[in-house]
Amino acid sequence: MMDDLNELYELSDEELFSRVDHSDQESEKITAPRYSYWQSVFRVFFRKKINIFVLAVLVALVLFAYIYPSFTEYDRFGNLLDATTKHLSPSVAMERLGRNIHWILGTGGAGQSTFDAVWNGSRISISLAFICAAINMTVGVLIGAIWGFSKRVDIIMTEVYNIIGNVPMLLFIAVMVMLFTPGFWTMVLALTITGWIAIAYFIRTQVIIIRDREYNLASKCLGTSTIKIAMKNILPFMTSVIVTLLATEIPSYISYEVFLAYIGMGMSEMSLGRLIFEAESAMVTPGWGFEFWSPVVVASIITVVLYVVGQNLGDASDPRTHM
Amino acid sequence: MGKYLAKRLIHGAVSIIIVVAIVMVMIYSMLDRNLVFAKDPVYTHQSNNSKITYMYSKWEEYGYVDYVNYSEWLNQLYRSGEIDDQTRSAVSALGRTEDADTEQTAEFVARFRDYYSSQGYTVRRMDAVTRAGGRLADGGQQQYFAYRNVPLTTRLLKYFSHLLSVEDVNYVPADVDLGKRGVTFTLRDPVYGGEKFSPAIIGNGTYHKYLLYCDGNFPYIHQNIASINLGTSYTVNSGIDVFTTMTRSQGSYVRSNITYPSGLEELSADDLHTATYMAGSLEANALNKTRFTDDYTYVDTVKNGMSKMGYSFVIGIIATVMAYILGLPIGLLMALRKDKLIDKIGTIYIVFIIAVPSLAYIFLFKAIGGRMGLPTTFNMESASKLMYILPIVSLALPEIANLMKWMRRYMIDQMNSDYVKFARSGGLSEGEIFSKHIMKNAAIPIVHGIPASVLFAMTGAIITERVYVVPGAGNLLTEAINKYDNGVIVGVTLFYAVLSVLSLILGDILMSMVDPRISFTTKDR
Repeated sequence: MMDDLNELYELSDEELFSRVDHSDQESEKITAPRYSYWQSVFRVFFRKKINIFVLAVLVALVLFAYIYPSFTEYDRFGNLLDATTKHLSPSVAMERLGRNIHWILGTGGAGQSTFDAVWNGSRISISLAFICAAINMTVGVLIGAIWGFSKRVDIIMTEVYNIIGNVPMLLFIAVMVMLFTPGFWTMVLALTITGWIAIAYFIRTQVIIIRDREYNLASKCLGTSTIKIAMKNILPFMTSVIVTLLATEIPSYISYEVFLAYIGMGMSEMSLGRLIFEAESAMVTPGWGFEFWSPVVVASIITVVLYVVGQNLGDASDPRTHM
Repeated sequence: MGKYLAKRLIHGAVSIIIVVAIVMVMIYSMLDRNLVFAKDPVYTHQSNNSKITYMYSKWEEYGYVDYVNYSEWLNQLYRSGEIDDQTRSAVSALGRTEDADTEQTAEFVARFRDYYSSQGYTVRRMDAVTRAGGRLADGGQQQYFAYRNVPLTTRLLKYFSHLLSVEDVNYVPADVDLGKRGVTFTLRDPVYGGEKFSPAIIGNGTYHKYLLYCDGNFPYIHQNIASINLGTSYTVNSGIDVFTTMTRSQGSYVRSNITYPSGLEELSADDLHTATYMAGSLEANALNKTRFTDDYTYVDTVKNGMSKMGYSFVIGIIATVMAYILGLPIGLLMALRKDKLIDKIGTIYIVFIIAVPSLAYIFLFKAIGGRMGLPTTFNMESASKLMYILPIVSLALPEIANLMKWMRRYMIDQMNSDYVKFARSGGLSEGEIFSKHIMKNAAIPIVHGIPASVLFAMTGAIITERVYVVPGAGNLLTEAINKYDNGVIVGVTLFYAVLSVLSLILGDILMSMVDPRISFTTKDR
């Protein structure tokens, strides 16, 4: 009878059901495809072609900002005494000073190369942004987690937040800048001394939202320790939130540094903000536009690229997109 | 509700006091107080001992220290009747060194030291600095004084007790004779010649002469009975209160024919309604004598421009209204056409505004506006309203992006929620679901931010005002920090803190009005 049917439908032996003996050991195993979180994050991230492009731009920008200045000698006052080299447009500068990568953006007020100045400035600004973000995110996430978990800490910290939030940030920065020399590390201190509290507050709110979810209550009832709940139940949930936050934080430090430099409270190093501040008068002068718009455009490109990469990475790190 | 609000207000007041205390600690004890003299030409021209006493007297003026010198103390003793004029003049001359004091002087010098040391002051004596030949060097006069840092609690108490001042008929010292003290009400304001109907309340013995008056400027009825003192400015606007600095009109004088109390008619910009008392000013100044009949001679002037806060508020409020009118519908549309073209363009715009440094896009708007022929700098003398356009646009565009972002987020969150699916399955039309359910719920968090955006329109925006040279209030804090004007820093901080506390409370009230589910009366939730 079976053989008849096989012939009828032309099925081979492999396509037919066959008997499997019961095994206690095998029935305990759950089979599912292996799931690795970070692998899935990058799989989702690289699924979009635009992300590959933006990431490549970001890597190229950062590498260039770090490698280019360390291989070229940038002397801001090298042409100081030569009055004919000041405020040149790219084409004039190339003619006057030779066809060289240094002069493709023209020269600034001291006859310096705008191109070199911009990349030196970018390196300082990017470093500042990364260091401040690293400090603020670490402190902010840790304190925010404790703040969200402990109700007693919550009462105190909410008061602290209300108070510090009302002290103008500018004042903290001004005090720091006046107490110490207005250098790179002073700026880091000024931006981190109160900068973490907003991040901590954000994280606290997120922790409170998921702290009392049913699966955590169940976990607690089953006797899981608080640390394990924090590490295994809540932290994975928070990863995408943290990455998304990071995406807005890093560019915001570059923007804030530009803002501070513009109002005269910036650092002494020639960061992008300082360059924009010093070249402001060049904006309205015909023919001098390059020395003003170059740092503005480069700063904008860096911040936009950082933001887009961060946002998309944040989206990709949400496990719900891993389907 | 009332009880809850009172609790919130008290809570807010406490945090405001702590904020002011923190700011005071920062600026009075952490900053280098020698920086005050960095741009002071008087200081650089002083030398030797007088330079040091100048420093202390300036620090007293700026609120860092309490400072008393020996002759001030003697005058005080004389006025309280403890010593007579003879003793005062006998002991007031200090010796060039401590050993050179006369016996009687030495006794008073010791008394001074004992008295002020016990009060926590540091007493300092500086011997005369002489040149060769025994003559005094420039500023080398011997000095004797006591000083102490003002304790934080004293400073705070003094600041908050002076915050609100109410007029008092005994403001003018009792020994000054100015006729009958009191308050009179008149229907015909003497400023307008006493014929036109215009009610006014005039005080005698008070600080302001006109306590209540009417004129042709907004808000038409003005009062001087109670005034807010946020602290005196030293360098930004010397001697003027911070609140006055923010609210006083600017620009050039507007002259008109006015009749002074003496009957003199003159073309002048003086605003007689602002007359305040200045002791002995009538006798001291011949010009005052031709114009006034009493010591209320210090008047403000009429100017054609708005105040700092006025400019900031006009620009800020128009930008805010524009942002709500444009930002909310666009955000809504983006949510409805999710992943369509308009959503994508909107998202690009939002990313642009969030990521690009604000300075960069403001300059970009300025450059584009300049190309289009709009004025890129603000000029108070110009009657053109076009100069308002670029600052308003620069302020509105980022706010639009922000509102678009949140409106879209809230709308999408609501559209995916279960009650919408339920309503749809119950047979409600899409339009009905939309207008009756989704919109109402999405509006709740948006409403919460409205008071903040309205109130903070008053404080102005730092970059926008700088870039377009708007004479607004936004730069007050940075200017004060750059000029070490502690009074202004504290005053502005207090102002900002009050606004932020108020806007949070108002936001909560507004939210509870829009959403009946939110109630502040039942606390047990």
